[in-house]
Amino acid sequence: MSAPQSAPQYDPRNQLLALLPEDELARLQPHLERVALPLGKSLSESGGVMHHVYFPLDAIVSLLCVMENGASTEIAVVGNEGIVGVSLFMGGETTPSRAIVQSAGEAYRLKGQRIKDEFYRAGTMQRLLLRYTQALLTQMAQTAVCNRHHSVDQQLCRWLLLSLDRLPGDQLIMTQELIANMLGVRREGVTESAGKLQRAGLIAYHRGHITVIDRPGLEARVCECYAVVKREYDRLLGPEALL
Amino acid sequence: MTPSLIVPAANQLLSRIPPQELAVFMMESEPVTLTFGDVLVEPGAVIEKVYFPIDSFISLIVGLDDGDTLEVTMAGREGMMGASLLLGVQESPLRALVQGGGAALCIEAARFQSLLLTCPVLHKRLLRYLYVLMNQIAHTVACTHFHQVEARLARWLLMTQDRAGSDSLQLTHEFLAVMLGVRRAGITQAATALQARGVIRYHRGSITVIDRAGLVEASCGCYAHDCSLYAQVLGAPLDPSS
Repeated sequence: MSAPQSAPQYDPRNQLLALLPEDELARLQPHLERVALPLGKSLSESGGVMHHVYFPLDAIVSLLCVMENGASTEIAVVGNEGIVGVSLFMGGETTPSRAIVQSAGEAYRLKGQRIKDEFYRAGTMQRLLLRYTQALLTQMAQTAVCNRHHSVDQQLCRWLLLSLDRLPGDQLIMTQELIANMLGVRREGVTESAGKLQRAGLIAYHRGHITVIDRPGLEARVCECYAVVKREYDRLLGPEALL
Repeated sequence: MTPSLIVPAANQLLSRIPPQELAVFMMESEPVTLTFGDVLVEPGAVIEKVYFPIDSFISLIVGLDDGDTLEVTMAGREGMMGASLLLGVQESPLRALVQGGGAALCIEAARFQSLLLTCPVLHKRLLRYLYVLMNQIAHTVACTHFHQVEARLARWLLMTQDRAGSDSLQLTHEFLAVMLGVRRAGITQAATALQARGVIRYHRGSITVIDRAGLVEASCGCYAHDCSLYAQVLGAPLDPSS
């Protein structure tokens, strides 16, 4: 048994864990290992075996689908509302997507076997994981249609808002190259869109730091996809979801 | 041999489960006929019935407010309609449209959910199907983004051919445009290119696949990827003749 050496105080910022009843959380706590997730760290590669799941506290993890030629595009984003590694309890041996830390921060890490055990107890954790998976599926499906039909401007707004919702502040540390990878577009496309948002006074961009100045302005420009995804998360995982 | 997802049989999710579980399932379900164009559920609506297609197949579609659409996955006899219930959610996030008429096994949502409690092998198998489904949707995100309409159309025709169990498909350009989320002109161009390659024949709303291996070649890697993942997670399709 390897109990983590220093977990003096439980950090309640992960909202999925926060929905667990006290006894289930207490059972889990000794096994939650607090880890730092630096920008760009890979938590899983597509086709790789995942040994842990992650509950972000303030980090944001991007799930990417990688094509044979190496091109990739983001299919979903996971922050403190969720968990990275849902494929583990569905019985898939390997992860279908690459998981990359998109915004540095911390997470609780849990051994894969532990989450499977918890899942098969058929308690609240199981219900939460299943409902979360549904929200994730909605996000993926909406991302597919958004990629197909909406402009890079709109996609960038969606992406910024989704990220912002998962961060404590209003600042993102992010290069345009990384954003381009996430959205699966060329850097010039991101530069152009970010330039427009900056000129409109919605964001300030400086050396890899994006500060959101006018959130309602972003919301006015974004396509419906942001609201569709957010509504589904609120409905499935809001405070009253499990009543 | 080209990769293939389907061999003629009953629903593949119901294969490889113990006879007693299958017996319970058959008792609770009833055979129904699905008609082309029927909408089984609208996005946001409660799923009242779950369908396991036998020789019918169903498109799962996301629609945008302005009417633009995209098919994100398909369910034929390799799959099911109503997977949200596995996740404990009553509502469907997607529109389910019958794309190929035919038979299906139908079971009421509430009965389906209680059935899962008594059929652990089936339950596990369906969760694995969910894993495949999720992966397929993820791949559709990337495919839609990166691949040319011609390769996407080829992938789509292969998926449809598998589920239809026929080389001859009744499809208008308009329908294809809705499924692939492109303009009709784009479909015309792509279909013409595939015809010029000699892999399909297109005539007045009917597409015939004449060279399946060639069509696989013309498709993006996503089709072969989907097939191999399905086989890996749920087992290769069972051949009824063996």
